[in-house]
Amino acid sequence: MNNRARSVFATVLLVAAVSLSSSLHAADKERKVVLQISDASAEKQTLVLNVANNLQQHYGVDKVKIEIVAFGPGLRLLFKDNVNKDRVGGLAGRGVQFSACQNTVKGMTKLLGHPPAINDKAVSVPAGIARIMELTDHGYTLVRP
Amino acid sequence: MKIIKRTALAMACAGAMTVAANTAQAANWLMLQGTEPAGTAKPVRLWGFAQVEYQKDTSSTNSTGGYVPPKLLGPDLTSQEAFNVSRARIGVRGIAHPLDDMVNYFLLTELGNNGVTYTDRAVKLTDASITLNHVPMARVRVGLFKYPGAEEGLQAIHTTDYINFTEVSNQLLLERFPNRTYPTAGNVAPCDPTLTPSCNLNAFDRPVGAFRDVGVQVFGSTMIGDWETSYAAMIGNGNGLNYSDNDGNRDLYLYFSTEKVFGGAGPFREGLKLFAWSQSGKRIFDGDNNGTYDTYDRDRSGAGVKYLKKPWRVTTEYMTGKGMIWNGPDKPTWALTTGSGNPDASDNGLKAKGKGWYVEGGYYIPNSDWQLDLRYDFYARLDGARQQLDWKTVTVGAQYYINKKTRLTFNYAVRDITAINYGPAGTSGAPGSNPNDNLDGIKNRYGVQLTAIF
Repeated sequence: MNNRARSVFATVLLVAAVSLSSSLHAADKERKVVLQISDASAEKQTLVLNVANNLQQHYGVDKVKIEIVAFGPGLRLLFKDNVNKDRVGGLAGRGVQFSACQNTVKGMTKLLGHPPAINDKAVSVPAGIARIMELTDHGYTLVRP
Repeated sequence: MKIIKRTALAMACAGAMTVAANTAQAANWLMLQGTEPAGTAKPVRLWGFAQVEYQKDTSSTNSTGGYVPPKLLGPDLTSQEAFNVSRARIGVRGIAHPLDDMVNYFLLTELGNNGVTYTDRAVKLTDASITLNHVPMARVRVGLFKYPGAEEGLQAIHTTDYINFTEVSNQLLLERFPNRTYPTAGNVAPCDPTLTPSCNLNAFDRPVGAFRDVGVQVFGSTMIGDWETSYAAMIGNGNGLNYSDNDGNRDLYLYFSTEKVFGGAGPFREGLKLFAWSQSGKRIFDGDNNGTYDTYDRDRSGAGVKYLKKPWRVTTEYMTGKGMIWNGPDKPTWALTTGSGNPDASDNGLKAKGKGWYVEGGYYIPNSDWQLDLRYDFYARLDGARQQLDWKTVTVGAQYYINKKTRLTFNYAVRDITAINYGPAGTSGAPGSNPNDNLDGIKNRYGVQLTAIF
Protein backbone atom coordinates (compact mmCIF):
# COMPACT_ATOMS: atom_id res chain seq x y z
CA MET A 1 0.00 0.00 0.00
CA ASN A 2 1.52 3.27 -1.02
CA ASN A 3 1.25 6.52 0.89
CA ARG A 4 -1.66 7.79 -1.18
CA ALA A 5 -3.64 4.62 -0.58
CA ARG A 6 -2.87 4.75 3.15
CA SER A 7 -4.04 8.34 3.27
CA VAL A 8 -7.38 7.53 1.56
CA PHE A 9 -7.93 4.50 3.81
CA ALA A 10 -7.27 6.60 6.92
CA THR A 11 -9.69 9.26 5.75
CA VAL A 12 -12.42 6.70 5.15
CA LEU A 13 -11.87 5.24 8.60
CA LEU A 14 -12.03 8.68 10.19
CA VAL A 15 -15.25 9.58 8.41
CA ALA A 16 -16.80 6.26 9.38
CA ALA A 17 -15.78 6.72 13.01
CA VAL A 18 -17.22 10.23 13.13
CA SER A 19 -20.47 9.06 11.51
CA LEU A 20 -20.82 6.16 13.93
CA SER A 21 -20.16 8.41 16.90
CA SER A 22 -22.65 10.93 15.60
CA SER A 23 -25.40 8.36 15.11
CA LEU A 24 -24.78 6.80 18.50
CA HIS A 25 -25.05 10.26 19.99
CA ALA A 26 -28.28 10.84 18.05
CA ALA A 27 -29.68 7.54 19.28
CA ASP A 28 -29.01 8.53 22.88
CA LYS A 29 -30.35 12.02 22.51
CA GLU A 30 -33.69 12.74 24.15
CA ARG A 31 -36.28 13.89 21.62
CA LYS A 32 -38.76 16.58 22.49
CA VAL A 33 -41.94 16.94 20.49
CA VAL A 34 -44.94 19.18 20.89
CA LEU A 35 -48.08 18.02 19.07
CA GLN A 36 -50.68 20.62 18.18
CA ILE A 37 -54.38 19.77 18.06
CA SER A 38 -56.53 22.71 17.08
CA ASP A 39 -59.00 20.88 14.85
CA ALA A 40 -62.33 19.44 15.95
CA SER A 41 -62.46 16.43 13.66
CA ALA A 42 -62.48 12.91 14.99
CA GLU A 43 -59.84 11.92 12.47
CA LYS A 44 -57.43 14.58 13.73
CA GLN A 45 -57.97 13.48 17.31
CA THR A 46 -57.17 9.88 16.42
CA LEU A 47 -54.19 11.02 14.38
CA VAL A 48 -52.57 13.06 17.13
CA LEU A 49 -52.99 10.22 19.62
CA ASN A 50 -51.58 7.74 17.11
CA VAL A 51 -48.57 9.97 16.49
CA ALA A 52 -47.84 10.25 20.21
CA ASN A 53 -48.17 6.52 20.62
CA ASN A 54 -45.94 5.77 17.68
CA LEU A 55 -43.26 8.22 18.73
CA GLN A 56 -43.07 6.39 22.04
CA GLN A 57 -42.95 3.04 20.32
CA HIS A 58 -40.27 4.20 17.91
CA TYR A 59 -37.91 5.94 20.33
CA GLY A 60 -38.93 4.36 23.61
CA VAL A 61 -41.05 5.94 26.32
CA ASP A 62 -38.02 7.34 28.15
CA LYS A 63 -36.34 8.67 25.04
CA VAL A 64 -38.94 11.11 23.86
CA LYS A 65 -40.77 13.88 25.68
CA ILE A 66 -44.18 14.55 24.23
CA GLU A 67 -46.61 17.30 25.01
CA ILE A 68 -49.96 17.60 23.27
CA VAL A 69 -51.31 21.14 23.30
CA ALA A 70 -55.03 21.47 22.62
CA PHE A 71 -56.63 24.77 21.78
CA GLY A 72 -59.49 26.10 19.69
CA PRO A 73 -61.84 23.37 18.47
CA GLY A 74 -59.09 20.88 19.23
CA LEU A 75 -59.80 21.30 22.94
CA ARG A 76 -62.66 18.81 22.49
CA LEU A 77 -60.02 16.08 22.65
CA LEU A 78 -59.63 16.94 26.31
CA PHE A 79 -63.33 17.04 27.14
CA LYS A 80 -64.02 14.81 30.07
CA ASP A 81 -66.44 12.49 28.22
CA ASN A 82 -64.53 12.35 24.94
CA VAL A 83 -64.66 8.86 23.45
CA ASN A 84 -60.84 8.89 23.40
CA LYS A 85 -60.57 9.51 27.13
CA ASP A 86 -59.15 6.05 27.78
CA ARG A 87 -56.40 6.59 25.24
CA VAL A 88 -55.67 10.02 26.72
CA GLY A 89 -55.41 8.40 30.14
CA GLY A 90 -53.15 5.67 28.80
CA LEU A 91 -50.75 8.09 27.15
CA ALA A 92 -50.74 10.36 30.19
CA GLY A 93 -49.82 7.34 32.25
CA ARG A 94 -46.82 6.85 29.97
CA GLY A 95 -45.60 10.40 30.42
CA VAL A 96 -47.34 12.33 27.68
CA GLN A 97 -48.46 15.74 28.90
CA PHE A 98 -51.80 17.09 27.74
CA SER A 99 -52.15 20.86 27.91
CA ALA A 100 -55.53 22.57 27.78
CA CYS A 101 -55.70 26.18 26.63
CA GLN A 102 -57.49 28.36 29.16
CA ASN A 103 -58.25 31.03 26.59
CA THR A 104 -60.22 28.42 24.71
CA VAL A 105 -61.92 27.26 27.88
CA LYS A 106 -63.05 30.84 28.53
CA GLY A 107 -64.36 31.21 24.99
CA MET A 108 -66.23 27.92 25.16
CA THR A 109 -67.69 28.88 28.51
CA LYS A 110 -69.32 31.86 26.85
CA LEU A 111 -70.71 29.72 24.05
CA LEU A 112 -71.93 26.93 26.28
CA GLY A 113 -73.15 29.00 29.20
CA HIS A 114 -70.99 26.90 31.52
CA PRO A 115 -67.38 25.74 31.56
CA PRO A 116 -66.71 22.56 29.59
CA ALA A 117 -65.79 19.58 31.75
CA ILE A 118 -62.10 18.92 31.12
CA ASN A 119 -60.25 15.61 31.44
CA ASP A 120 -58.50 15.26 34.79
CA LYS A 121 -55.31 14.28 33.02
CA ALA A 122 -55.02 17.65 31.31
CA VAL A 123 -52.85 20.48 32.61
CA SER A 124 -54.12 24.03 32.23
CA VAL A 125 -51.97 26.46 30.29
CA PRO A 126 -52.90 30.13 29.90
CA ALA A 127 -52.66 30.15 26.12
CA GLY A 128 -52.12 27.14 23.92
CA ILE A 129 -50.28 28.94 21.15
CA ALA A 130 -47.97 30.67 23.63
CA ARG A 131 -47.25 27.31 25.23
CA ILE A 132 -46.20 25.93 21.86
CA MET A 133 -43.85 28.87 21.30
CA GLU A 134 -42.28 28.38 24.72
CA LEU A 135 -41.74 24.71 24.04
CA THR A 136 -40.18 25.29 20.64
CA ASP A 137 -37.88 27.86 22.23
CA HIS A 138 -36.76 25.06 24.51
CA GLY A 139 -35.88 22.74 21.69
CA TYR A 140 -39.20 21.01 21.07
CA THR A 141 -40.07 20.13 17.54
CA LEU A 142 -43.58 21.22 16.61
CA VAL A 143 -45.65 18.64 14.76
CA ARG A 144 -49.15 19.42 13.64
CA PRO A 145 -50.65 16.16 12.38
CA MET B 1 -39.90 26.49 14.26
CA LYS B 2 -40.13 23.23 12.42
CA ILE B 3 -43.38 21.75 11.26
CA ILE B 4 -43.12 18.17 10.13
CA LYS B 5 -46.57 17.39 8.82
CA ARG B 6 -45.55 14.76 6.35
CA THR B 7 -43.53 12.81 8.86
CA ALA B 8 -46.41 12.89 11.27
CA LEU B 9 -48.85 11.77 8.64
CA ALA B 10 -46.63 8.91 7.61
CA MET B 11 -46.19 7.91 11.20
CA ALA B 12 -49.88 8.09 11.86
CA CYS B 13 -50.61 6.03 8.80
CA ALA B 14 -48.24 3.39 10.03
CA GLY B 15 -49.72 3.73 13.45
CA ALA B 16 -53.20 3.19 12.21
CA MET B 17 -52.10 -0.31 11.28
CA THR B 18 -50.84 -1.09 14.73
CA VAL B 19 -52.89 0.95 17.15
CA ALA B 20 -56.48 0.01 17.73
CA ALA B 21 -58.63 3.10 17.99
CA ASN B 22 -60.35 2.83 21.31
CA THR B 23 -63.52 4.62 20.36
CA ALA B 24 -65.85 2.29 22.17
CA GLN B 25 -68.85 4.58 21.93
CA ALA B 26 -70.07 2.30 19.20
CA ALA B 27 -71.15 -0.28 21.69
CA ASN B 28 -74.39 -1.65 20.37
CA TRP B 29 -77.34 -0.82 18.15
CA LEU B 30 -79.01 1.28 20.81
CA MET B 31 -75.93 3.42 21.20
CA LEU B 32 -74.85 3.34 17.56
CA GLN B 33 -78.18 4.62 16.30
CA GLY B 34 -79.25 6.74 19.23
CA THR B 35 -76.10 8.61 20.19
CA GLU B 36 -73.04 10.29 18.71
CA PRO B 37 -69.46 9.76 19.86
CA ALA B 38 -68.75 12.32 22.57
CA GLY B 39 -66.09 14.89 21.87
CA THR B 40 -65.72 14.03 18.20
CA ALA B 41 -69.14 14.25 16.56
CA LYS B 42 -69.85 16.94 14.00
CA PRO B 43 -72.98 19.10 13.87
CA VAL B 44 -73.83 17.68 10.44
CA ARG B 45 -72.65 14.41 8.99
CA LEU B 46 -74.10 13.38 5.65
CA TRP B 47 -74.38 9.64 5.21
CA GLY B 48 -76.35 6.97 3.44
CA PHE B 49 -76.21 3.84 1.35
CA ALA B 50 -77.65 2.23 -1.74
CA GLN B 51 -78.52 -1.39 -2.44
CA VAL B 52 -79.14 -2.56 -5.98
CA GLU B 53 -80.05 -6.16 -6.62
CA TYR B 54 -81.04 -8.77 -9.10
CA GLN B 55 -83.23 -11.64 -7.93
CA LYS B 56 -84.81 -14.61 -9.63
CA ASP B 57 -87.53 -16.83 -8.24
CA THR B 58 -87.76 -20.29 -9.79
CA SER B 59 -91.24 -21.19 -8.51
CA SER B 60 -93.74 -22.82 -10.83
CA THR B 61 -97.30 -21.67 -11.42
CA ASN B 62 -100.19 -22.76 -9.22
CA SER B 63 -102.01 -25.95 -10.05
CA THR B 64 -104.81 -23.85 -11.51
CA GLY B 65 -102.54 -21.27 -13.09
CA GLY B 66 -101.32 -17.93 -11.82
CA TYR B 67 -99.12 -17.30 -8.81
CA VAL B 68 -99.36 -16.81 -5.07
CA PRO B 69 -97.24 -13.99 -3.61
CA PRO B 70 -94.30 -16.09 -2.35
CA LYS B 71 -93.66 -17.03 -5.97
CA LEU B 72 -93.14 -13.41 -6.99
CA LEU B 73 -90.63 -10.73 -6.08
CA GLY B 74 -91.67 -7.99 -3.70
CA PRO B 75 -92.67 -5.34 -3.21
CA ASP B 76 -94.32 -5.19 -6.65
CA LEU B 77 -95.23 -8.89 -6.94
CA THR B 78 -95.39 -8.65 -10.71
CA SER B 79 -92.38 -10.65 -11.73
CA GLN B 80 -90.20 -13.61 -10.94
CA GLU B 81 -87.03 -11.98 -12.21
CA ALA B 82 -86.06 -8.36 -11.80
CA PHE B 83 -83.47 -5.75 -11.06
CA ASN B 84 -84.44 -3.46 -8.22
CA VAL B 85 -83.05 -0.51 -6.30
CA SER B 86 -84.18 -2.06 -3.08
CA ARG B 87 -82.81 0.67 -0.84
CA ALA B 88 -81.47 4.16 -1.42
CA ARG B 89 -81.19 6.01 1.81
CA ILE B 90 -79.66 9.35 2.55
CA GLY B 91 -79.62 11.22 5.80
CA VAL B 92 -77.82 13.47 8.22
CA ARG B 93 -76.94 13.01 11.83
CA GLY B 94 -74.91 14.91 14.37
CA ILE B 95 -74.92 17.04 17.47
CA ALA B 96 -77.20 20.01 17.95
CA HIS B 97 -74.43 22.30 19.27
CA PRO B 98 -70.82 22.04 18.08
CA LEU B 99 -69.49 22.01 21.65
CA ASP B 100 -72.27 20.16 23.41
CA ASP B 101 -72.61 16.40 23.02
CA MET B 102 -75.66 16.27 25.24
CA VAL B 103 -78.11 16.57 22.36
CA ASN B 104 -77.88 14.72 19.06
CA TYR B 105 -80.20 14.01 16.16
CA PHE B 106 -80.69 11.43 13.39
CA LEU B 107 -82.55 11.94 10.12
CA LEU B 108 -82.85 9.37 7.32
CA THR B 109 -84.95 9.15 4.16
CA GLU B 110 -85.77 6.23 1.89
CA LEU B 111 -85.87 6.57 -1.89
CA GLY B 112 -85.62 2.92 -2.90
CA ASN B 113 -88.37 0.55 -4.01
CA ASN B 114 -89.51 -1.56 -1.07
CA GLY B 115 -92.31 -2.04 1.41
CA VAL B 116 -91.69 1.40 2.87
CA THR B 117 -92.22 3.28 -0.38
CA TYR B 118 -94.35 0.86 -2.39
CA THR B 119 -97.81 2.00 -1.38
CA ASP B 120 -97.51 5.60 -2.56
CA ARG B 121 -94.20 5.62 -4.43
CA ALA B 122 -93.02 8.58 -2.42
CA VAL B 123 -89.81 9.45 -0.62
CA LYS B 124 -90.31 8.45 2.99
CA LEU B 125 -88.80 9.73 6.18
CA THR B 126 -87.76 6.60 8.06
CA ASP B 127 -85.95 8.19 10.99
CA ALA B 128 -86.29 11.55 12.66
CA SER B 129 -85.15 11.50 16.25
CA ILE B 130 -83.52 13.62 18.92
CA THR B 131 -81.59 12.15 21.84
CA LEU B 132 -80.96 13.86 25.18
CA ASN B 133 -77.85 12.40 26.80
CA HIS B 134 -77.78 14.29 30.08
CA VAL B 135 -78.13 11.14 32.20
CA PRO B 136 -75.89 8.42 30.75
CA MET B 137 -77.96 5.52 32.07
CA ALA B 138 -81.25 7.21 31.28
CA ARG B 139 -80.78 8.77 27.86
CA VAL B 140 -84.00 9.89 26.26
CA ARG B 141 -84.67 9.46 22.54
CA VAL B 142 -87.81 10.92 21.02
CA GLY B 143 -89.24 10.84 17.51
CA LEU B 144 -89.35 8.24 14.77
CA PHE B 145 -86.69 5.54 14.97
CA LYS B 146 -86.08 1.81 15.20
CA TYR B 147 -87.73 0.42 18.29
CA PRO B 148 -85.67 -1.86 20.54
CA GLY B 149 -86.35 -5.44 19.53
CA ALA B 150 -85.12 -8.41 17.58
CA GLU B 151 -81.56 -8.37 16.34
CA GLU B 152 -82.49 -8.71 12.68
CA GLY B 153 -84.83 -5.75 12.88
CA LEU B 154 -82.74 -3.54 15.11
CA GLN B 155 -79.43 -3.88 13.34
CA ALA B 156 -78.55 -1.45 10.56
CA ILE B 157 -79.91 -2.92 7.35
CA HIS B 158 -76.81 -2.09 5.32
CA THR B 159 -74.74 -4.28 7.63
CA THR B 160 -76.91 -7.40 7.35
CA ASP B 161 -75.34 -10.40 5.71
CA TYR B 162 -78.26 -11.57 3.56
CA ILE B 163 -80.36 -10.03 0.80
CA ASN B 164 -83.71 -11.01 2.34
CA PHE B 165 -84.98 -11.19 5.90
CA THR B 166 -85.74 -14.50 7.51
CA GLU B 167 -89.39 -15.50 7.07
CA VAL B 168 -90.01 -15.20 10.79
CA SER B 169 -88.71 -11.62 10.90
CA ASN B 170 -90.43 -10.71 7.65
CA GLN B 171 -93.83 -12.12 8.51
CA LEU B 172 -94.04 -12.07 12.29
CA LEU B 173 -92.13 -8.86 13.07
CA LEU B 174 -92.06 -6.62 10.00
CA GLU B 175 -95.48 -5.18 10.61
CA ARG B 176 -98.16 -4.64 8.00
CA PHE B 177 -100.82 -2.29 9.25
CA PRO B 178 -104.52 -2.89 8.92
CA ASN B 179 -106.18 -1.12 6.04
CA ARG B 180 -108.37 1.72 7.16
CA THR B 181 -111.46 -0.05 5.87
CA TYR B 182 -112.39 -3.64 5.31
CA PRO B 183 -111.41 -4.29 1.68
CA THR B 184 -114.50 -4.80 -0.45
CA ALA B 185 -112.63 -7.34 -2.52
CA GLY B 186 -111.90 -9.41 0.53
CA ASN B 187 -108.94 -11.63 0.00
CA VAL B 188 -107.33 -11.56 -3.37
CA ALA B 189 -107.29 -14.89 -5.09
CA PRO B 190 -104.13 -16.27 -6.66
CA CYS B 191 -103.73 -14.54 -9.97
CA ASP B 192 -101.56 -14.16 -12.97
CA PRO B 193 -98.95 -11.43 -12.47
CA THR B 194 -99.75 -10.11 -15.90
CA LEU B 195 -103.11 -9.05 -14.49
CA THR B 196 -101.62 -6.76 -11.89
CA PRO B 197 -102.29 -4.12 -10.72
CA SER B 198 -105.93 -5.03 -11.16
CA CYS B 199 -105.16 -8.29 -9.47
CA ASN B 200 -103.50 -6.31 -6.69
CA LEU B 201 -101.43 -8.97 -5.06
CA ASN B 202 -100.29 -6.39 -2.55
CA ALA B 203 -103.57 -5.22 -1.07
CA PHE B 204 -102.28 -3.21 1.86
CA ASP B 205 -102.68 0.54 1.67
CA ARG B 206 -99.91 1.68 4.02
CA PRO B 207 -96.16 1.13 4.24
CA VAL B 208 -94.63 -1.64 6.32
CA GLY B 209 -93.53 -0.71 9.80
CA ALA B 210 -89.83 -1.05 8.97
CA PHE B 211 -89.21 -2.02 12.63
CA ARG B 212 -89.85 1.61 13.57
CA ASP B 213 -92.28 3.61 15.63
CA VAL B 214 -92.85 7.15 16.83
CA GLY B 215 -92.44 7.54 20.55
CA VAL B 216 -90.08 8.05 23.43
CA GLN B 217 -87.34 5.67 24.53
CA VAL B 218 -85.28 5.66 27.71
CA PHE B 219 -82.06 3.72 27.38
CA GLY B 220 -78.56 3.29 28.68
CA SER B 221 -75.46 1.21 28.45
CA THR B 222 -72.62 0.57 30.87
CA MET B 223 -69.40 -1.43 30.94
CA ILE B 224 -68.65 -3.62 33.93
CA GLY B 225 -65.31 -5.23 33.32
CA ASP B 226 -65.45 -6.74 29.85
CA TRP B 227 -69.23 -6.95 29.89
CA GLU B 228 -71.45 -4.27 28.50
CA THR B 229 -75.02 -4.23 29.70
CA SER B 230 -77.73 -2.26 27.95
CA TYR B 231 -81.41 -1.69 28.33
CA ALA B 232 -84.19 0.22 26.62
CA ALA B 233 -87.82 0.89 27.37
CA MET B 234 -90.00 2.64 24.84
CA ILE B 235 -93.57 3.76 24.47
CA GLY B 236 -94.76 4.37 20.93
CA ASN B 237 -97.83 4.99 18.84
CA GLY B 238 -97.69 1.47 17.44
CA ASN B 239 -98.31 2.86 14.00
CA GLY B 240 -94.96 2.38 12.26
CA LEU B 241 -93.94 5.04 9.78
CA ASN B 242 -97.44 6.49 9.77
CA TYR B 243 -96.44 9.20 12.22
CA SER B 244 -99.63 9.78 14.11
CA ASP B 245 -101.47 7.59 16.52
CA ASN B 246 -104.58 6.04 15.03
CA ASP B 247 -106.23 4.30 17.93
CA GLY B 248 -105.33 5.89 21.27
CA ASN B 249 -103.38 2.79 22.28
CA ARG B 250 -99.67 2.73 22.97
CA ASP B 251 -97.12 0.02 22.28
CA LEU B 252 -94.65 -0.89 25.00
CA TYR B 253 -91.20 -2.08 23.96
CA LEU B 254 -88.66 -3.58 26.37
CA TYR B 255 -85.11 -4.64 25.59
CA PHE B 256 -82.17 -5.98 27.54
CA SER B 257 -78.77 -7.17 26.43
CA THR B 258 -75.46 -8.04 27.95
CA GLU B 259 -72.33 -8.60 25.93
CA LYS B 260 -68.83 -9.80 26.64
CA VAL B 261 -66.77 -7.50 24.48
CA PHE B 262 -63.79 -9.06 22.77
CA GLY B 263 -62.62 -5.92 21.00
CA GLY B 264 -63.12 -3.48 18.17
CA ALA B 265 -65.87 -0.96 17.72
CA GLY B 266 -68.86 -0.17 15.59
CA PRO B 267 -71.29 -2.53 13.87
CA PHE B 268 -68.74 -5.29 13.67
CA ARG B 269 -67.42 -5.10 17.19
CA GLU B 270 -66.51 -8.57 18.34
CA GLY B 271 -68.28 -10.06 21.31
CA LEU B 272 -70.75 -12.53 22.72
CA LYS B 273 -74.14 -10.88 23.14
CA LEU B 274 -77.19 -12.25 24.92
CA PHE B 275 -80.41 -10.36 24.38
CA ALA B 276 -84.14 -10.51 25.05
CA TRP B 277 -87.00 -8.25 24.08
CA SER B 278 -90.75 -7.88 24.04
CA GLN B 279 -93.36 -5.61 22.59
CA SER B 280 -97.05 -5.40 23.30
CA GLY B 281 -99.74 -3.25 21.76
CA LYS B 282 -103.18 -3.12 20.26
CA ARG B 283 -104.45 -2.59 16.74
CA ILE B 284 -107.85 -1.59 15.48
CA PHE B 285 -109.50 -3.17 12.48
CA ASP B 286 -112.98 -4.01 11.28
CA GLY B 287 -112.20 -7.67 11.67
CA ASP B 288 -115.80 -8.87 11.58
CA ASN B 289 -116.69 -6.61 8.66
CA ASN B 290 -119.64 -4.95 10.35
CA GLY B 291 -118.58 -1.37 9.75
CA THR B 292 -117.08 -0.68 13.18
CA TYR B 293 -113.55 -0.97 14.47
CA ASP B 294 -112.55 -3.65 16.92
CA THR B 295 -109.41 -3.83 19.00
CA TYR B 296 -106.96 -6.72 18.76
CA ASP B 297 -103.84 -7.49 20.76
CA ARG B 298 -100.48 -7.63 19.09
CA ASP B 299 -97.73 -9.12 21.23
CA ARG B 300 -94.25 -10.20 20.24
CA SER B 301 -91.24 -11.42 22.21
CA GLY B 302 -87.94 -13.12 21.64
CA ALA B 303 -84.45 -13.90 22.84
CA GLY B 304 -81.19 -14.70 21.17
CA VAL B 305 -77.43 -14.93 21.16
CA LYS B 306 -74.90 -13.43 18.82
CA TYR B 307 -71.24 -14.43 18.73
CA LEU B 308 -68.69 -12.67 16.58
CA LYS B 309 -64.99 -13.29 16.71
CA LYS B 310 -63.42 -13.36 13.33
CA PRO B 311 -63.19 -15.52 11.38
CA TRP B 312 -66.43 -16.89 12.88
CA ARG B 313 -69.92 -15.51 13.45
CA VAL B 314 -72.96 -17.32 14.84
CA THR B 315 -76.40 -15.87 15.59
CA THR B 316 -79.55 -17.55 16.77
CA GLU B 317 -82.86 -16.14 17.91
CA TYR B 318 -86.26 -17.48 18.90
CA MET B 319 -89.39 -15.39 18.46
CA THR B 320 -93.03 -15.79 19.25
CA GLY B 321 -96.11 -13.71 18.57
CA LYS B 322 -99.77 -13.54 19.41
CA GLY B 323 -102.37 -11.55 17.53
CA MET B 324 -102.24 -9.77 14.19
CA ILE B 325 -100.60 -12.70 12.42
CA TRP B 326 -100.11 -11.53 8.87
CA ASN B 327 -101.19 -13.99 6.19
CA GLY B 328 -99.56 -12.48 3.15
CA PRO B 329 -99.64 -9.28 1.10
CA ASP B 330 -102.89 -10.37 -0.57
CA LYS B 331 -104.67 -10.90 2.74
CA PRO B 332 -105.59 -7.43 4.04
CA THR B 333 -108.25 -9.02 6.24
CA TRP B 334 -105.60 -11.14 7.96
CA ALA B 335 -107.81 -14.10 7.13
CA LEU B 336 -107.44 -16.98 4.77
CA THR B 337 -110.47 -17.74 2.64
CA THR B 338 -112.88 -19.16 5.19
CA GLY B 339 -111.88 -16.85 8.00
CA SER B 340 -112.97 -13.58 6.44
CA GLY B 341 -115.24 -11.61 8.71
CA ASN B 342 -114.76 -14.05 11.55
CA PRO B 343 -111.86 -13.16 13.84
CA ASP B 344 -112.37 -16.31 15.85
CA ALA B 345 -111.93 -18.64 12.89
CA SER B 346 -108.79 -20.72 13.14
CA ASP B 347 -107.47 -19.40 9.85
CA ASN B 348 -107.95 -15.77 10.81
CA GLY B 349 -104.70 -14.17 11.93
CA LEU B 350 -106.27 -11.45 14.07
CA LYS B 351 -106.21 -13.65 17.17
CA ALA B 352 -103.79 -16.34 16.02
CA LYS B 353 -100.25 -17.22 17.02
CA GLY B 354 -96.94 -17.52 15.28
CA LYS B 355 -93.48 -18.63 16.27
CA GLY B 356 -90.14 -19.20 14.68
CA TRP B 357 -86.40 -19.17 14.98
CA TYR B 358 -83.26 -18.98 12.96
CA VAL B 359 -79.63 -19.88 13.24
CA GLU B 360 -77.00 -18.43 10.99
CA GLY B 361 -73.27 -18.38 10.75
CA GLY B 362 -70.51 -16.69 8.85
CA TYR B 363 -66.92 -17.45 8.06
CA TYR B 364 -64.59 -14.61 7.10
CA ILE B 365 -61.96 -16.25 4.94
CA PRO B 366 -58.63 -15.09 6.39
CA ASN B 367 -56.44 -12.87 4.22
CA SER B 368 -59.12 -12.52 1.61
CA ASP B 369 -62.02 -10.25 0.76
CA TRP B 370 -64.52 -13.10 0.89
CA GLN B 371 -67.02 -14.11 3.49
CA LEU B 372 -69.25 -17.19 3.51
CA ASP B 373 -72.71 -17.27 5.11
CA LEU B 374 -75.24 -19.95 5.90
CA ARG B 375 -78.67 -19.56 7.48
CA TYR B 376 -81.61 -21.75 8.39
CA ASP B 377 -84.89 -20.17 9.41
CA PHE B 378 -88.21 -21.60 10.42
CA TYR B 379 -91.58 -19.93 10.87
CA ALA B 380 -94.87 -21.50 11.95
CA ARG B 381 -97.61 -19.17 10.76
CA LEU B 382 -101.03 -19.59 12.43
CA ASP B 383 -99.29 -21.86 14.88
CA GLY B 384 -101.62 -24.59 16.11
CA ALA B 385 -104.40 -23.74 13.67
CA ARG B 386 -105.84 -25.91 10.95
CA GLN B 387 -104.21 -23.62 8.38
CA GLN B 388 -100.77 -23.62 9.98
CA LEU B 389 -98.06 -23.11 7.42
CA ASP B 390 -94.47 -24.09 8.17
CA TRP B 391 -91.88 -22.06 6.31
CA LYS B 392 -88.40 -23.54 6.14
CA THR B 393 -85.60 -21.77 4.33
CA VAL B 394 -81.92 -22.55 3.94
CA THR B 395 -79.89 -19.67 2.56
CA VAL B 396 -76.37 -20.15 1.31
CA GLY B 397 -74.43 -16.95 0.78
CA ALA B 398 -71.13 -15.38 -0.05
CA GLN B 399 -69.97 -11.80 0.15
CA TYR B 400 -67.12 -10.12 -1.64
CA TYR B 401 -65.78 -6.84 -0.29
CA ILE B 402 -64.72 -4.59 -3.13
CA ASN B 403 -63.62 -2.24 -0.40
CA LYS B 404 -64.68 -1.70 3.18
CA LYS B 405 -67.72 0.28 2.12
CA THR B 406 -68.75 -1.63 -0.98
CA ARG B 407 -69.62 -5.29 -1.25
CA LEU B 408 -71.40 -7.87 -3.33
CA THR B 409 -73.76 -10.34 -1.67
CA PHE B 410 -74.67 -13.61 -3.37
CA ASN B 411 -77.57 -15.65 -1.96
CA TYR B 412 -79.23 -18.90 -2.91
CA ALA B 413 -82.32 -19.75 -0.85
CA VAL B 414 -83.86 -23.20 -0.77
CA ARG B 415 -87.48 -22.87 0.33
CA ASP B 416 -90.03 -25.34 1.58
CA ILE B 417 -93.51 -24.21 2.66
CA THR B 418 -96.10 -26.70 3.81
CA ALA B 419 -99.63 -26.62 5.18
CA ILE B 420 -98.89 -29.26 7.77
CA ASN B 421 -102.50 -30.27 8.43
CA TYR B 422 -103.21 -31.08 4.80
CA GLY B 423 -102.07 -33.93 2.63
CA PRO B 424 -99.50 -33.61 -0.11
CA ALA B 425 -100.30 -31.53 -3.15
CA GLY B 426 -102.86 -33.05 -5.47
CA THR B 427 -104.18 -35.55 -2.96
CA SER B 428 -107.45 -33.96 -1.95
CA GLY B 429 -110.30 -32.88 -4.15
CA ALA B 430 -110.16 -30.45 -7.00
CA PRO B 431 -106.90 -28.70 -7.89
CA GLY B 432 -106.39 -25.71 -5.63
CA SER B 433 -108.65 -26.98 -2.85
CA ASN B 434 -105.62 -28.10 -0.88
CA PRO B 435 -103.25 -25.28 0.17
CA ASN B 436 -100.33 -27.49 -0.70
CA ASP B 437 -101.44 -27.46 -4.33
CA ASN B 438 -100.15 -23.88 -4.49
CA LEU B 439 -97.40 -24.12 -1.89
CA ASP B 440 -95.79 -27.10 -3.52
CA GLY B 441 -94.67 -25.01 -6.45
CA ILE B 442 -92.75 -22.51 -4.31
CA LYS B 443 -89.17 -23.15 -5.26
CA ASN B 444 -85.76 -21.71 -4.76
CA ARG B 445 -84.72 -18.11 -5.12
CA TYR B 446 -81.34 -16.61 -5.87
CA GLY B 447 -79.92 -13.15 -6.20
CA VAL B 448 -76.98 -10.82 -6.08
CA GLN B 449 -76.92 -7.45 -4.35
CA LEU B 450 -74.46 -4.58 -4.52
CA THR B 451 -74.24 -2.43 -1.40
CA ALA B 452 -72.42 0.90 -1.34
CA ILE B 453 -72.17 2.96 1.83
CA PHE B 454 -71.03 6.54 2.02
